[in-house]
Amino acid sequence: MVSNRLFVRRRDGRIEVRLSDAGRDIAREAFGHVVAAERDPDHEWHAGLNAPINPSSDDDDPLSMLTRQNEISTNAELAFMTLHEEFLNDAEAWAWLSTFQIALRSTAVANGLLSEEKLNECEPAMLEYIHTLQQFLFSLAECL
Amino acid sequence: MRRVTTDSEVASEEVVATKRPWHVVVWDDPVTPMSVVVVIFKKIFGYSNNKCTQLMLTVHHEGRAIVWSGQRERAESYCVKLQVAGLQATIEQDQ
Repeated sequence: MVSNRLFVRRRDGRIEVRLSDAGRDIAREAFGHVVAAERDPDHEWHAGLNAPINPSSDDDDPLSMLTRQNEISTNAELAFMTLHEEFLNDAEAWAWLSTFQIALRSTAVANGLLSEEKLNECEPAMLEYIHTLQQFLFSLAECL
Repeated sequence: MRRVTTDSEVASEEVVATKRPWHVVVWDDPVTPMSVVVVIFKKIFGYSNNKCTQLMLTVHHEGRAIVWSGQRERAESYCVKLQVAGLQATIEQDQ
């Protein structure tokens, strides 16, 4: 029987990446956007990565904001650096999952896809991109 | 008649205000896969699979769920971890 899972937990504990070249291209694009968005205040995803922590306060704690920025960047850079790996350890797989999830939500926020209705009305190419990221996430979540 | 508030009353109100717990709230969105939310809750809070699934379903059906309550600093730290994992999360003080 042939498995069509994109990520598989091996007996030795490592997670095998079974993405095709096209799949890795999509991953590269997603990870690259997250890395760029954290660095570039003009990036369309930047505001989404800096959402309020405490909406009842005018300003969030600078230390918390810095921690968030550092951790998002670290995950995205680790995911980007391991793009061509055949196997991931747990920390790398967590970085992939977090960065895919940030890319997915940032895409939805940047395109105003914040309700089921808006999602159903969006262009087929955008919907296909979102479904692809969701498939990556489904499969990776099964391994973690 | 105007009542004068004493220093001890003000201090007492401040103590009550600071003792009210802070909640970490996770908000629903239409794109995040349910299984991913469960994995993130397990990783960050170490809750059981059942509890994570229940919380995820509350988010899905009610639009939001309180996933942790306690001291402000810890609430803020958990909120940041959830945001780093790509979920929409905020903190709020108990009313």
